[in-house]
Amino acid sequence: MAKRQEPPTLSPEERVKSFEEVEGVYLPHQAIAEAARCLFCHDAPCNKDCPAGIDIVKFIRRIKTKDFRSAIRAVRESNILAGVCARVCPTEKLCEKACSSTELTEPINIAALQRFVTDTEMQKGITPSAKAEPTGKKVAVTGSGPAGLAAAAELARAGHAVTIFEAKPLPGGVLTYGIPLYRLPKEVVIAEIDCIKQLGVEIKTDTPIDEKLNIDALFDQGFDAIFIATGVGKPYFVRMPGEDLEGVYSALELLSQVRVHYSKPSRGEFPLKIGIKALVIGGGNVAMDAACSFLRLGAEEVHVVCLESFEEMPAFPSEIEFAKEEGIVFHPRSKPLRIIGDENGRVKGFEGVGIRWKEPNNFSPSNAVPIEGTEFSLDVDTVVEAIGQGPDPSLAQALPGVETKGRGLIVVDEETRMTSRKGVFAGGDSVNGGDTVVQAIAEGKKAADGINKYLKSI
Amino acid sequence: MDLSVELCGVKFSNPFVLSAGPPTDDVKMIRRAFEAGWAGAILKTTSVESEVVELVYPMMAGLDFEDKKLIGLGNIDLISEHHIDEVEGRVAELKKEFPNNVVGASIMGAKKEDWQTLVRRLEAAGVDLIECSFSCPQGSMGEKPGAMVAQDPQLTKEVAGWVKAAAKRVPVFIKITPMVADVVEVGRAVKESGADGITASNTIPSLMGINLDTFEPYPSVDGKSSYSGLSGAAIKPITLHIIAELAKNVGLPISGTGGATTWQDVVEFMLVGATNVQFCTAVMRNGHRIIDDLKDGLTNYLDDKGMSGPSELIGQTLPKIVTHPELSREYKVVAEVNRKTCVKDDLCYITCRDAGHEAIELDKERLPVLDEEKCVGCGLCVAICPVWDCVKLKRVEKKEKK
Repeated sequence: MAKRQEPPTLSPEERVKSFEEVEGVYLPHQAIAEAARCLFCHDAPCNKDCPAGIDIVKFIRRIKTKDFRSAIRAVRESNILAGVCARVCPTEKLCEKACSSTELTEPINIAALQRFVTDTEMQKGITPSAKAEPTGKKVAVTGSGPAGLAAAAELARAGHAVTIFEAKPLPGGVLTYGIPLYRLPKEVVIAEIDCIKQLGVEIKTDTPIDEKLNIDALFDQGFDAIFIATGVGKPYFVRMPGEDLEGVYSALELLSQVRVHYSKPSRGEFPLKIGIKALVIGGGNVAMDAACSFLRLGAEEVHVVCLESFEEMPAFPSEIEFAKEEGIVFHPRSKPLRIIGDENGRVKGFEGVGIRWKEPNNFSPSNAVPIEGTEFSLDVDTVVEAIGQGPDPSLAQALPGVETKGRGLIVVDEETRMTSRKGVFAGGDSVNGGDTVVQAIAEGKKAADGINKYLKSI
Repeated sequence: MDLSVELCGVKFSNPFVLSAGPPTDDVKMIRRAFEAGWAGAILKTTSVESEVVELVYPMMAGLDFEDKKLIGLGNIDLISEHHIDEVEGRVAELKKEFPNNVVGASIMGAKKEDWQTLVRRLEAAGVDLIECSFSCPQGSMGEKPGAMVAQDPQLTKEVAGWVKAAAKRVPVFIKITPMVADVVEVGRAVKESGADGITASNTIPSLMGINLDTFEPYPSVDGKSSYSGLSGAAIKPITLHIIAELAKNVGLPISGTGGATTWQDVVEFMLVGATNVQFCTAVMRNGHRIIDDLKDGLTNYLDDKGMSGPSELIGQTLPKIVTHPELSREYKVVAEVNRKTCVKDDLCYITCRDAGHEAIELDKERLPVLDEEKCVGCGLCVAICPVWDCVKLKRVEKKEKK
């Protein structure tokens, strides 16, 4: 059987030198060869495992028959952020995991094929799909991350007038302020957001919802429905001694500053004070992004300390592998104890201890038992914490009458995606607590569906 | 984009039609095909009730090439086991349910009366066109078992004449075989009979292969087999030749069939003169759903070409097909190797050395170097090079003869 085609990829030695995108794109003949490996299963399992609902087997058939225009249409009609997803989707856990070819050889490289069609499209410029006649209805979307953008695009296609309220200076949420450039170049994000704007979506940046501009005020402005997609912007900290030292940051802050700084055509000094020996605390994808970003910022040594073993870490196996390839030093099954400062109040070291789990399959910090005698220290000058994040508590004032639970996650009806407040819907990380980009897109689409039905009913 | 085409007064909403064969031997399957978007279907060949049709199994054998499955398909199928009494009911049922789809019927008879009875009953049932199978590789009915009517121009003219005489309302198509010395002669016989069009062409008599352990031919029916009709992608170049010859020399409307798999194939069939294209093996392999790929692919292609519909394609390539003496002797090309993309498999070197003109040498880096004096531009290296964008032909000024 023919071998899986891999696109050109920078070597670990090459890629840590810059924020250049690591993975390249197929040439047309490679894409056709890869598409020709597809078995075109009748009941395509890949389709069922795409949260965004892309008809994968259809777009692969179109590539095989060299009808790239139809291939892109098949992708775009289900996923307005298809170029983003081609780069950041954990396909090995979704469509490619389901692929029937796996049992013959290896799964079809669906991500690379999607990347090929979206890149081909971008060369000519993305054309937005057809829109329904205007309905006269107005919808406000708060937050322009993947959930907000996906919902806005669907709602605009349905003919509603959509306005996105974005707190930050640029739209995109995690796509613009979180995911590193070496995984997601800014041009892709800009092009896809431009396409959403071309659908008629208005994006008001630097416009956070708050106590004054709350959902009551939005209804007063004449919006018929509101979609909350404010994400999880509040980083959590371990709460250990030394966190107030200079050189301790949240991963969100580091990644956001890196993304903004390296997006500038000409740049001065990096705004955060960082050293050359960095430590990242956490075992998720954000921790991997932070660790690998440090290398690109010029760090000589980057450590990762996390409670989980490699098998237990929430980061995708491919992300862990990627970080290992680049030379990140892992300290799995370890618990942070304290950060040590020097006489000037700057980080100069770290202390941790090995752990075991009290109960199996419970990876919460409270379940971790330190193992005596396994204390260790690291000589580091910068510490980044990437142990998770939650909804910004101050947003509660912007959402009167919207029920939340736990650490402030918004409660929605499973089917309609409406919150406890009539006409107010929610989706993405602010509901699920933090999941993949494609999951946020799926929730945005589903909420748009709920909003459409609601708007027809009023 | 309006993809419709008109063939002998019959309007097809697009050029894609299911040909007479296994996918059209069941109303349920045709219903699904029409719902999926196929413009029409020719029901599997039927006969009068008195004909005994006894099929044998297995009847299919695939032709694989290296790791590619089913580049061709051989069958020892016969006509439908369903006789006219059943098929006329199917025609009526389908036409009632799908008035805008084309329902054709393929027929085969042993004698004049049978052929004409079939036509009359199908016309009464509401069929849109009649196709006569003169070309089943298992042979036609009648006096010469195993022979095909379409291999005999006189017989073709006679039998086609019977059918045409009986058809009062719908056009008559004669489905011919590529397995003749001169297809134009057969095409002219069809024209002289008064029949309206030609379906070109049927499967090709073939032997699909032999089991090397048992010496049994494929498909083996209890240890033995007969010759198969070969269909699928492998026969497309043969079909293109047949359509082109008929289009250039006969001038009857042509329904193309035999090896079309993709929308590109359909464009090619139409460029050499077909008005619509029939599919069978491609559907047997990948299902009705390929209609989406075909319609979208053709639409985008026509759009890119600035054409208003598929009919603009018909016959465009015919003036570019000439006899060998008419080809330019003033034209010279030579091969050119892209040294950047070359992967040093040296396949061009081997083929040129052992089967070409010894025009390629290898340099110290094992990269091919072309001797333009020796290269005649035969194109073999281009055909063999496995690398995308590596060996190409470039035009050079023709040298003066010494």
